This record gives sequence, structure tokens and C-alpha cells, in this order.
Amino acid sequence: MNKIKIGIPRSILYYYYGELWTNFLKKINCEVIISPTTNREIMEKGNKIANDEMCLSMKNLLGHVFYLEDKCDYLLIPRIDNYGVDNQTCTNFLAMYDIIKNLFQTPVLNYNIDVVHKDTEEKGFIYIGIQLGCTKKQALEAYDQAKKQTEEQKQIQIKQNLQKLKSKKNKLLIVGHPYNLYDDLIGKPILDYLKKLDVELIYSDLFYHQMTSKLSKQLSCELYWKFNKENIGSIPVVENKVDGVVFLSVFPCGPDSLVNELVIRKIKLPCLNLIMDDLDSMAGFETRLESFVDVIQERKRKHEQKNNLIPTYGKL
Amino acid sequence: MKDCYLGIDIGSISTKGVILDTENNIVCSSYLWTEGNPIGAVKNLLDVLKKDLPESYCIKGIGTTGSARKLIGLMVDANIVKNEITAHAIGTLSRYPDTHTILEIGGQDSKIILLENGIITDYSMNTLCAAGTGSFLSSQAKRLGIPIEEFGTLALKSKTPVKIAARCTVFAESDLIHKAQLGYEKKDIVAGLCKSIVLNYLNNVGKGKNIKGPIVFQGGVSKNRGVVKYFEEILNEKIIVDENSHLMGAIGIAILAHNHKKDKSYTLNIKDISFETKGIECNHCSNHCELLKIYKDEKLIDSWGSKCGKY
Repeated sequence: MNKIKIGIPRSILYYYYGELWTNFLKKINCEVIISPTTNREIMEKGNKIANDEMCLSMKNLLGHVFYLEDKCDYLLIPRIDNYGVDNQTCTNFLAMYDIIKNLFQTPVLNYNIDVVHKDTEEKGFIYIGIQLGCTKKQALEAYDQAKKQTEEQKQIQIKQNLQKLKSKKNKLLIVGHPYNLYDDLIGKPILDYLKKLDVELIYSDLFYHQMTSKLSKQLSCELYWKFNKENIGSIPVVENKVDGVVFLSVFPCGPDSLVNELVIRKIKLPCLNLIMDDLDSMAGFETRLESFVDVIQERKRKHEQKNNLIPTYGKL
Repeated sequence: MKDCYLGIDIGSISTKGVILDTENNIVCSSYLWTEGNPIGAVKNLLDVLKKDLPESYCIKGIGTTGSARKLIGLMVDANIVKNEITAHAIGTLSRYPDTHTILEIGGQDSKIILLENGIITDYSMNTLCAAGTGSFLSSQAKRLGIPIEEFGTLALKSKTPVKIAARCTVFAESDLIHKAQLGYEKKDIVAGLCKSIVLNYLNNVGKGKNIKGPIVFQGGVSKNRGVVKYFEEILNEKIIVDENSHLMGAIGIAILAHNHKKDKSYTLNIKDISFETKGIECNHCSNHCELLKIYKDEKLIDSWGSKCGKY
């Protein structure tokens, strides 16, 4: 018997759950098809399908789904409402299931997360399992195993990320959603350019989320976007260990435009706010990044000068 | 033979060149329009400089800055290519060592640089939108039929500048047209525009920055006395505008070329070398990168824009 093919777009939620989904689906004997890394064709296709008010990442998602159309039996697109009280997601996460269901022919798996109304992640996975023909027990077992496996992986990544704080190079904290940071056409050119300038990059999404979520309260108590809270909560953790913060968001991201602006006013580290759109030219970004790294270098030098002054003064 | 260093600042609107001696004094300088053709502009620039440069000088280093710095750096074989923030700061510090704030409004960029004891501590630049920069002013000057050189003087004559939306130039432009159609005097509209540039700058670039004196204002727009006046009025501080304020970036990069200590001898005979760029779309993969290939004397020397690194 042919395996059931499940298509996962390499966009938005893939960067949070890709590993877990793949592990789970393989355990219940399904074939997983993941769309390729974003390229021009996918982005342009997404642009064409999308409505003009969607953010770049959503447009991207539609391009990826278009690629998967005809290549799989089911699509895996969750509908995420919230992860509990004051832990909501952007409304786009709530809408994408319905948008894609209406725009494309391929059936979409039912997967709903609404913790306030007791629809938890575990329930969501069991439901997927049942839709794909396994029993509740099998699905639960597969979920538990997949979850454990993914958690272990994640812990390693987080450790590697935090390890970089010990580096002697200039260190920058990159604050942004993983689906923007690691996307080939959105964040990757920026991060690659920074690496070329010999900067150590620490990513805001690879931290212990329970901790960052709590720490975000130091910056603001009123935020209710889960992913944004986790991102900005990384700033207090590294405040004295990095030389600057780069905020990377896409146009017109609602939560980011509010949260980043708010945070920039409150923190003392040098900040750079980059808003990406479907721009092909890197020249403008290169000027901003290069001068930002220059400024950081200068500040460091000043700091060192200050520190050197004290002993000479003491000798006198 | 005396050593000297050339700094070239290629902006979106104008191209600036300065030759400094080892004491950082200006030997000769030139300023001309880029007109969308940085390669041609630099060739003309070098021609002018070559005529003005006394024969006893020999160029030992070239630095390039400004938005076309990479291309021109390759063309003239520069020994240093740096962004305009650093170049402007270094240039200004060589003339005004106590500077605390540098305001800069150029053709498509505007920026603010904050310094403390001669070290850059903070800066900010306009987002990719060119609102409230020189190109906006010059297009509005054209609309009103006023030569850009007279713009500032005319603005000074006004006692009651009209109010013009300062947030976005699209709104500013419709505001301006409405005011003109309502019958406001030209000088008041011009003054209103100058004021809106200042407000736009302080709302966008200068937002949340601690602007303290001494303040140095530079970039092409600093030649506009109307804008200078409104900066002084609103910030309540004296604004220093150097007679070479338009050359500061070029001066800075020339100093950097000097400090870089990778001296070699240059001639200014670029004019005879053919230097061409060709834009093509690579169809190798679905990324369809826009590639720019650069030819010097019909030989491919570099190509940019490839995402995969194939070129």
C-alpha cells in the first residue's frame, strides 16, 4: 500500500514545529513532503495569490503551499488561536488554515490549537493521527516519542546558541521570528552579510522559552503575543553579554511593529531596526549593517580606553 | 614628490572628490552631479582633479564612500571602501574635534550621528523610504519653478511659513499643491517646505536621540539656508555649517585612505580605461538572481548579486 503523503510548507510554523511534525508523521507511517527553501519563483507565486494586506511571510507561505499542490494527499496547516490566557498568536496564524482551505484544492488536515478552550497540542496530534487512520493509542504513543526526540534536539541547539555568548568576537543578538531569520530570501542574506563582517550571531528564538517569556515582563507586562514575548525576553538574558541588538521583521508585521518599537525605547544597547520587504537590492541594508558594526567597534574601543585609564591614573 | 590622498564620495545626486595632503589640508576638490551615471561622473571628476592637482603631488591612496562606493572602489582600485557614516564622522572630526551631533541630509539618505569624545556612540538613518531628503526638495523646487540654489534664500524672506504635513512626502506633496492652489505666496510655501524637512528629520531620524551642541550640519541640503534656519529655531542651538560641508564624506574617506597605510602610487588616467557593467538575469535556478557583471577593458573582473555564489 502506498503511504499517505503529507505536505508541509517550509514557511512560518515549519520553523517552530517542522521537526516535531516530521518525526510524528514518520512514526505513524506517512510520507512527508517538505517544500524547498524559498526561491524567487515561490515568492513571486505567493505574491500573486496573496491579498495585498498580508505580510511578506504570509505571502511566502502561500507560495510554498502552491508548490505542494498536486504533490501530496494532505496539507498540514494548523489553526492556532492561543496557547492559553495572554499567550495569543498573530491573527494570521488563526486565519491561515481557512485561507489555504479556501484557496487550494488539496485537503487540509484538521489541527486546532486553542488552549483556552482545552484544545491542546496533544489533542491536536491525536486528532491528526485518527484522521490518518491510526488509533488514539498509537497516535498518542507516536506523539510522545516524537516530542521527546524533538525536545532533545532543541536542547542541543539552545546550548550551542548560548555557547556563542562566550565568543571573543563582536556579538549581536538577532531578534526576529525564526520563519524570517532562517528564510533564504528574507533573513539569510542579512545574516550572511553580518557573518562576513566577522560578527557572532545569537538568535532570539533559541533560548529557554519559559524563562524568556517570564523575562519579557521586564520590558512590558501588557504584551500577549506568545512568540514576541519569547523573542524579546532574550534581551534581558544577554544584556551585558552582547554588543548590540538587531531587530529583523517583515513589512507589515503587526505584532513586530508594535513590540520592536516599544522595546527599542526601553533598552540601553545599540539597536538596529530592519524591516524587510520584497526588495531585491541589498545595498541599503549593507550600508546600515556595516555602519552598525563600525559603531559597535568604536563603542568597544571607547570602553576599553576607559578601563585602561583607571590603572594609569592609579599609578600616578 | 609630496604624498597626497584622494577621497571620492559618490552619492545618488552628486559626486564629490577631494585630494588631501599628509596634513589633511585640501589640495583640490571637485563637486559635480551624478546624473544616474556614477561611472561617467567619476571619470569626469578624476579629469577635473587631474587638471587641478599640482605636479609635485603623487596620489598614494584612494578611498571611496557613498552609495556607489563598491562599484567605484573596484573601478579605481581603491585601497579602502567604507560606509558613509564612518566617513562623515571622521571628516567632521578632523575639522571640529568637539562635535557632539552630526546632522546629515543627502540626496536619498538622511542620518544623525552622535559622538562622544571623538567616538561614534550612536547613529540612525532614515528607513529605506527617501522622505524628507534632498531629492524630494529638488523635485519640489522643479515643480515650483525655482532653481534649487535660490530655494534657501527665498525661504529666508518668509515670515509666515505655511504648514505642510511632515510625516510622508506623498502627503507633503499634495499639501503643497493645495496650498499653492489656494493662493499662498511662493516664499511662504518654500519656507513651509524647509520647515517640514526639519520636522520630518527630527520625527524620523532624530527620534529619541539626545541632540546636544556643538551640532554640525552637512550633506547637500546643508547649503539650503532655509533648512539651517529652521533647525536653529527648532533645536534652539547654533548650527555649524562648514564651507566644505558638502565634501565632508570625501574628506573623511581620504583621511581613512591615509590612515589605512597601504600606500601605492596611483595615476588618474582612468578616463582611457573602458569600464562597463552589464545586468543579466541568471536562469540557472528558480531564484532568477539579477547579476551585475563588471568589465574593465572588456575583461570580466567581478560580478555581484548572485545568491548561490555561483558567480
